[in-house]
Amino acid sequence: MIELKNIGVQFSGRDILKDVSVMFHPGEIIGLVAPNGTGKSTLMNVIMNYINPNNGKVILNNTLEYTNKKNEVKIHQLVSMMPDQSDLYNQISGKEHLKIYSSMWSSNTKLIDYTIKELGMTSYINKPTGTYSLGMRQRLCFAMQIVSDTQVMLMDEVMNGLDPTHVELISQILVKKKSEGKTIIVASHLLENLEKYADRIFFMKNGELILINELSPGFEQREITTVRVIGMLNNIKENFTKVFPETNVKVLPNDITLIDVRGYDSRELGHIVEFLKENQLIEFSVGKVTLNDLYSMYYQEV
Amino acid sequence: MRAYFKIEFLQFMSNKKNIAIYVILLFFSCYYALKTAPEYDPIEKVDEYEIEARYLTREEFLNNVVINNWTHPLTVFAATIYPQWNEYDKKRLDAIRQHNMKEYAESTSKWYSYADEMTLKNGYLYYNPRYYTYENTYATWDGHYAYLYSASRYEGYTEGESDLSINVFEERTALQTLQRLLHSYLPLILIVSCMFFTVDVVLKDRRNTTLLQGLPLSDWRKLLVKGGVSLLGSLLAIIPLSVGLFIIGARNGLGDFELPVPIYLASEKLFSNITIGQYVMQNLLFIVFWFLFFISLILLVSIVIKNEFANLLVGSVFVIAEFMYYARGIGAIRDVHWYPTSYIQTGQIIAGYRNFLYSTDALTFGTGLFVIGLCVCVFLFIMFLISRRRKFRLF
Repeated sequence: MIELKNIGVQFSGRDILKDVSVMFHPGEIIGLVAPNGTGKSTLMNVIMNYINPNNGKVILNNTLEYTNKKNEVKIHQLVSMMPDQSDLYNQISGKEHLKIYSSMWSSNTKLIDYTIKELGMTSYINKPTGTYSLGMRQRLCFAMQIVSDTQVMLMDEVMNGLDPTHVELISQILVKKKSEGKTIIVASHLLENLEKYADRIFFMKNGELILINELSPGFEQREITTVRVIGMLNNIKENFTKVFPETNVKVLPNDITLIDVRGYDSRELGHIVEFLKENQLIEFSVGKVTLNDLYSMYYQEV
Repeated sequence: MRAYFKIEFLQFMSNKKNIAIYVILLFFSCYYALKTAPEYDPIEKVDEYEIEARYLTREEFLNNVVINNWTHPLTVFAATIYPQWNEYDKKRLDAIRQHNMKEYAESTSKWYSYADEMTLKNGYLYYNPRYYTYENTYATWDGHYAYLYSASRYEGYTEGESDLSINVFEERTALQTLQRLLHSYLPLILIVSCMFFTVDVVLKDRRNTTLLQGLPLSDWRKLLVKGGVSLLGSLLAIIPLSVGLFIIGARNGLGDFELPVPIYLASEKLFSNITIGQYVMQNLLFIVFWFLFFISLILLVSIVIKNEFANLLVGSVFVIAEFMYYARGIGAIRDVHWYPTSYIQTGQIIAGYRNFLYSTDALTFGTGLFVIGLCVCVFLFIMFLISRRRKFRLF
């Protein structure tokens, strides 16, 4: 378990993180979503103690804090951050990288071959990493963190440069690691993918962490809350508000209209669907608001 | 720590700059062995014709000189000292013609002792003219040193069991060449190489920050491992250098670890011999201490200033510092033995030559190790304190 307590970071007088307090539990995947430059990486760097916060502290397992260098080593035994693919040693092989990480964290060496196989890296793992494509390098970085086998894993843009097959593969491994009791914190822009496996998703804005459930109550529940309509013209929207004056309607910058149907029964839903059909709006779905919608709502407000 | 050592060592060996240093050392080593070493022209060489010419000239003088009351004092002096001198030259000449190396060594040792005694005492005689170079006001003393050195060396050959040859007498065998190099610039070359090896050992990690930053190892230990890798890498520089040694060995013979190396005892103003084996081992130990000095110094500068150029600059200052205060005989009025930089020419310190130049008897192997070791401890202690600071970042 890792706890952030009143973390504050300022750069040049600007608040990057403002009094962030949150607890991440074992067996949990946390998603961090925010546009570039809003503090995701800073938050991870604070967790790793690469950046000293101006105030607040990081507490691991209720006891360990970054109070001295000895504790830092102890925490780094348990918390790791995925390396950046541009930082790999081009002259040495992927397998050497994995062996080094495995021995640095004294993890089970069997994990090396297992991970190589699981990520489909067998054909190139013995070649120098300088010959790898972006996707291959990204997979290697992910594999390095997997073989380090730490209790808490931080991953910044883990899916960068990966094709859909590998995105899916890595997602499955993350879910498996979660079931092993790991705490995984992922910063990603692949929102649909993140939505699938993350237990809690946080948005970051103005230095604050906002749980998306607070923005959209019931987001994580499996119930019908929203009708998503693509390409609803203004006149139809005006007409809709006249017909359904009690219903909340929100137009997103990405040309999607969200109709709030929380608590509606089948008959009321039927009326709305009928209205849409009568107005030749056939591209709509009934379900809940997506992470993409929330992102659009939150960060692209007009 | 083993895994981290492996990472560091892999990087060290694949570092283009380090590979270039090894290649340059290999090139210099081969160039020296093939071009410079064969052209070595010692002042004190085995020259049968020179001995013969001197012997015959003096013999003719002795056979024809008439000593009476009117004879010039210098002629009397020459007639007094030449018979013994010529006896040694005759023995040398006979020994070299009969290839009796032991006998040659014995009579040559006596020849040098006698020649030095006669030359130093009297202002009328001179040492080998090659000591009297332009602006060398210490030529007589240099000759005196060289003659006593040679006397002691030849005495060592007489007492030892090593196979003797002209190459051994002229110090041309591989091990003797190594000894001569250790007496001149080889320690400096090794120290400068060590400096270049170490200059980026910390700061190179800035290129792989995310890969290395979170490793579960304290910065202090990382620094120790980096230092260890630099030390090992610096010692490996011996490999390309030894290629040249093998080439010389194939041409002039390897030599013998039991061959004598004269050591000047400044307090007693005389020489005693140690073996080349001892001389090389003492040099190696001294150079390892110097490696530790430069490695700890550069690691310290790396974590304080965090600039490779600054590392190079500070290291270079220590390499050349001795040239700034060195003056012949200055040891008599200044405590140069407390400056670590006075010990940079390790071979000359062990051989006592530095004491001879500084006119002191304080620059010894033991004092050198103490002073350099103390500096290493100070550098490491400061580094330890800095690396334990909570907000300290290694790179």
